[in-house]
Amino acid sequence: MLVVNGLRATVGEKEILQGLNLTVNPGEIHAIMGPNGSGKSTLAHVLSGRDGYTVTGGSATFAGQDLLALEPEQRAHLGLFLAFQYPVELPGVNNTYFLKAALNSIRKARGEAELDAVSFLRFIKEKLKILHLDESLLKRAVNAGFSGGEKKRNEIFQMALLEPKLAILDETDSGLDIDALRVVADGVNALRSPERSMIVVTHYQRLLDYIQPDFVHVLAKGQIIRSGGKELALELETTGYGWIDAEGLAA
Amino acid sequence: MTDHALMSWLPPLAPAAPAWLATLQAAARAQVQTQIAAPDAEAWRYTSLNHLLEQGFVPIDETITALQPDDLDEVLIAGLDSRRVVFVNGRYAPELSATEALPPGVHLDSLRELLAHDPDAVRALLPAESATLPLFMALNVAGLDDGLVLRLDRAAILAQPLELIHLSIGLDQPSVAQPHHLIVLGDGAQATLVERYVSLGAAVYCTNAVIEIQLGRDAVLTHERLQTESKNAFHLSGLSLRQGANSRYQSVNLGLGSRWSRTELLTEFCAAHAECDLRGLYLAGDEQRIDYHLDVNHAVPNCTSRETFKGIIYGKGRAVFDGRVVVAKDAQKSDAAMSNQNLLLSPQAEIDTKPQLEINADDVKCSHGTTVGQIEPEKLFYLRSRGISAALARRMLCLGFADEIIHTLHSETLREHLSEQVGQRLESAPWD
Repeated sequence: MLVVNGLRATVGEKEILQGLNLTVNPGEIHAIMGPNGSGKSTLAHVLSGRDGYTVTGGSATFAGQDLLALEPEQRAHLGLFLAFQYPVELPGVNNTYFLKAALNSIRKARGEAELDAVSFLRFIKEKLKILHLDESLLKRAVNAGFSGGEKKRNEIFQMALLEPKLAILDETDSGLDIDALRVVADGVNALRSPERSMIVVTHYQRLLDYIQPDFVHVLAKGQIIRSGGKELALELETTGYGWIDAEGLAA
Repeated sequence: MTDHALMSWLPPLAPAAPAWLATLQAAARAQVQTQIAAPDAEAWRYTSLNHLLEQGFVPIDETITALQPDDLDEVLIAGLDSRRVVFVNGRYAPELSATEALPPGVHLDSLRELLAHDPDAVRALLPAESATLPLFMALNVAGLDDGLVLRLDRAAILAQPLELIHLSIGLDQPSVAQPHHLIVLGDGAQATLVERYVSLGAAVYCTNAVIEIQLGRDAVLTHERLQTESKNAFHLSGLSLRQGANSRYQSVNLGLGSRWSRTELLTEFCAAHAECDLRGLYLAGDEQRIDYHLDVNHAVPNCTSRETFKGIIYGKGRAVFDGRVVVAKDAQKSDAAMSNQNLLLSPQAEIDTKPQLEINADDVKCSHGTTVGQIEPEKLFYLRSRGISAALARRMLCLGFADEIIHTLHSETLREHLSEQVGQRLESAPWD
């Protein structure tokens, strides 16, 4: 589904990704862990097409297409979804209007009929239940004045609605207390399916207690330096990241 | 040249005009001449009159009678619950208006008719001596012809909104119409007025309207002004507002249309504890320029004013926001907050913004703030990452920006209509 090969990317003069390899197959959940500054968020941003990064080498293929050549919205049309670490507040933009515009843009790009107001509302109310979200959310402006937990739940809610093939969760656990984390994780787990893959980017092992990954990768200095099963996350919990030396190599 | 062009906007004085009116108009005419001879450089710092004067506008003494009520359909807002007063090229058009069954204590007349039948009633509504007015408001008074006279007696309530429609149709010659409206709310009276400026066709014409409003003690007026004229229209309008004790005035000014427009809002608190809320949204695109000039006078203590204006400027559009709040020496406990936020969507778009506070009292709460910015890339990326095209995402963000003003309109129908109007204009906006 996703094949990343020797990916290199810079921000300004600084090379953040230094030849990263990653293959994600349908239905798999990959956790990407690593110390601050290792390039975790950069990977999420480069894959979703955010401005400000220059890809200097390597490739990323998603659903058979050259992902890096596509606009952000085209990536979403193909089934890529990024749950933001810091969801953006959009004052004045109504949540329902936003969600409907997103869903119908994607349906249209895929040659499916757009949903009318009634079927959209029915669909959306079903999805609200998964995240234990109140209907009042629909009347508010997108993320405006939301608490940290509400913002993260709204991200997962959007994911539930847009039904992506590959979701990248960028530090979805950051800033969440344990109850909020559980709600978000339950939402994510409810969306697991044999066709849907996820990349869970996190600094802490804690999230992985709730979202069980199939693979765990350690990212340091812009490369994946170790990969393993979920037991690798537990190992990191005890060893921390101290064993990664200044060059980003295992000591 | 300047002299000639503006003076030719004035029709000859009506021979039958009462002496007091002739005096008032002569004084206004003298003011116009003085201001032409020595223009107020500060008031016209960002705006050239040349384009307006080149058009050679003249007043046309003609009442348009050929319009049928059906002709109005294309400018009416479907589903808007209102009574309607229609002026066509500045003249009252009773056959197009719908003002049946006014509640008790509400009096509605045409200025032209009231002057013919009961001139003393008009005299009682006009200020005894002519104050110094901005150029075009003085010009309007000098050319006084017709307008709406709306009077609400003490405690009268006009619950259903009244729509005041300025409908303009091009004539063979570029014409100027100068309607002058008088709105007087007695103590405790309440009303909602929706003032609209619309065009039939796309001819070049000019409207120079003035609306004078007096609010009695405890009176409440909601005043929504929607300028959606054709892109060839020239638009000038002036508000002169005087507020009594505890009165509340809340207005929304939307400037979306016309090629060249200038709006002057002059407000004055005459007694304590009154509130004035001026909100506005302007959209200036290619070949458009839109100016707003505010002059808010806190002449007495304990009054509150809010000035909140937002602008979206795109293509080669230009806009001016020139807002002034003056707090008099004795106007202690005045509370004023002015803000002007602008979104520039293209490198050629231009805004001149000049908020000013002139504070002569020492115990006041006054603030002002201005921003000029572009669409934030963060927000754009967020929407695009959800599959929304860049063009739609930009439009959504602009509408979100505009919504702070639009959502304060009194009816859902109006809010939807104006959102749609803004959306449509932005759809054709060039983004670079």
